[in-house]
Amino acid sequence: MKLTGSQIFWTLSTVEIIMAVWLRVSPAIETAKQDAWMSMIIAGAIGLAITYLVTHVSLLHPGETLTQFSRKLLGGWIGRIVILPYFVAWFLLSGDVLRSFADFIHLTILDRTPIWILMVMILALAVYLTGISGITGIGRFCELAGPVTFITLILTFLLNAMNTKLLHILPIVGDSSWQEVFKASLPPASFFGESFMLLVLLAFISSKKKIIVKALSSIVFTSIMVMLATVMVLLVFGPYVGMELRFSYFMLVRSINILNFIQNVDVLVIFIWIFGVFAKISLYLFITSYEMAQWLHVKNWKKLMWFCAPAIFIIALLIPNEASIMMLQKLWERIVIPVCAIAIPLFLWMMTVMRRKITKH
Amino acid sequence: MKKILLIFCLLFLSASSTGCWNLKEPNQRAFIIGVGMDMTEDKELEISSEVAVPAGLGSSQVTGAGKKNTYTVVSAKGKDFMDAGQRLQAELSRSLFYAHRQTILIGHHMAEVGLDKYLDMIFRNPKSELRSVILVVKDGTAKEVIKAEPTFDPFISTTLGSQQSALGMKPYYYRMLLCDAFSEGTQPIVPAITADPSRGYVYAGSAILDKDHGIKLVGYLNPEESMYDNWIMGKQKNLTFTTSIGKRNETISIAVQSLKHRTRIKMVKHRPQIYISLHGIGSIVENNSSLDPSREDDLKTIQTKLSQEAEKKVRKLVDKAQHQYKIDIFGIGEHVHRQHPEIWKTLKPHWRETFPELPITVSVHLRYRDPGQTNSSL
Repeated sequence: MKLTGSQIFWTLSTVEIIMAVWLRVSPAIETAKQDAWMSMIIAGAIGLAITYLVTHVSLLHPGETLTQFSRKLLGGWIGRIVILPYFVAWFLLSGDVLRSFADFIHLTILDRTPIWILMVMILALAVYLTGISGITGIGRFCELAGPVTFITLILTFLLNAMNTKLLHILPIVGDSSWQEVFKASLPPASFFGESFMLLVLLAFISSKKKIIVKALSSIVFTSIMVMLATVMVLLVFGPYVGMELRFSYFMLVRSINILNFIQNVDVLVIFIWIFGVFAKISLYLFITSYEMAQWLHVKNWKKLMWFCAPAIFIIALLIPNEASIMMLQKLWERIVIPVCAIAIPLFLWMMTVMRRKITKH
Repeated sequence: MKKILLIFCLLFLSASSTGCWNLKEPNQRAFIIGVGMDMTEDKELEISSEVAVPAGLGSSQVTGAGKKNTYTVVSAKGKDFMDAGQRLQAELSRSLFYAHRQTILIGHHMAEVGLDKYLDMIFRNPKSELRSVILVVKDGTAKEVIKAEPTFDPFISTTLGSQQSALGMKPYYYRMLLCDAFSEGTQPIVPAITADPSRGYVYAGSAILDKDHGIKLVGYLNPEESMYDNWIMGKQKNLTFTTSIGKRNETISIAVQSLKHRTRIKMVKHRPQIYISLHGIGSIVENNSSLDPSREDDLKTIQTKLSQEAEKKVRKLVDKAQHQYKIDIFGIGEHVHRQHPEIWKTLKPHWRETFPELPITVSVHLRYRDPGQTNSSL
């Protein structure tokens, strides 16, 4: 199983872009009002720092995934314990994503189809893709879905050009303080910080060349797109209406009306939502199964998919309501990112450096 | 065995993924084209919906007997939108479908009571349409207007939208009302219409709604006043302006196309001074005076006269807003907020009281680009 540099770029951006555009724009507007777009830039910077850290740590151990190198560094038992938070984070995230996906589809188009059927369908597809081709298939899928997502996003922004009112974005840093702008950048930053999955993914790269640039540019690209979405939501709805909308980007698409002719294109953007969610669930299904196989010393990681897929499904089913999705997102922002994306990679980095010094002497 | 299982799986998936659960044929739907909201005497919400009758639409070429109506109007009272909708359903054999609603009409009485309690449904309901235009019915009920027979289109609600663009205005969508209602300092100025038994539906200017007090109706602007107000707010695309000139009150008309507007706020000793400047370029479309636009002097006279006249009208409107309605209908508060956010924070709580005393300077510059087909008047 190999991944090329451009597959890393598209995998990372496809997986991150859609979720952030769909779910992170309104919360940022709620805190930072019309300056939310600046929060997105700051969030991008935080995401960049995290990505740089994890890429660097991962590249110190070429060809090894997180479980492999942490066990090598810290020994069997401690190495295993260190990985546990990652499993918790990845399972919770996939369950959360699966549930949000099904809720959204249920709300907008298939309101009579039971939610579990929607979830079983996408999960079955993810099992199929991951089982047949592993990470290579996911990378290839993202290489196709990523550009389509990008074009669709740009197109919907352009089609909304007539609806914009430039005044909505003024005054810049007048109503909200810098403090609020920074505070608003944390939720999107936690979504960009999801790039700590590179700790696993970078084990599969075909060559080390330019990987850091590819990974970092992917985060830059993602945050620019999310920033553009924020700007468009602000220009069309203004800060006060924008912050009330649950899926502000989707509402943006629903307001497209060109010459009374191009209307109701919202059905067409649902497919990029499905692309993004599908890529994400397949990817996490792969990551959890593969890492769990390494963790348990199982030769064939595909066997563990039969544990991971039902686990994700059950987590998604158990989420009772919107409030707990919010809570999970808070948990992700407050605990998962500091622990899994910053503390443990830093610790592993230090251990690597120390080990190398000791062996040199 | 495996194959049979696979086929069953696929069949199951296709049944669920193609949305069979949600199957609803168009002939099971009643398409709502327009909706009217009224408040009855006993404070109950009354919803009147214009529902398309597809059978009547296809027969537009057929004349004479047997021609069906293209629409039907049903109305019901209820506690809120959807409650009334539930009762509307009792009169229809097809289920109501909101995604094609073009127009929302607000009855006069409804506007007086205030809209704030009923804004939510139109945005929250995922089946609802965001691109509806919104209008207030002056001195009447929405029910009357929605029942009126349209001239060109099969439905009155599509007509009302096109009427606005024919008058040179940008359509006022529900989304904009919401933006204005939740903004810092813009009052919603909603186009108004009257139901006239002899003339049908007539554009009647605009209704001023007060966003600070439950989006209640404050008053109306007549068509001419709302034209200037729309110009200042950037909602007007073109307009025709007529002035009388000379001793014998001969008239001259100019069709103005590229309208520009600018509101500047200058702070003098922490008190805002407002400069509104309006620009327009157009062509002379009617000239009954002795002036010849091809002559430099006459052209200047025409331009200054036109500009002065327009300026006078705008000043009158400003005066009316400041002293009669005492409400900021020009969105000046919003401009203060954008240009001087710090000062706005102190001004906002008592903007109501500040606005009537604001020094507002108006300047209008109308220029002509095209004299038309003749030089001097024929």
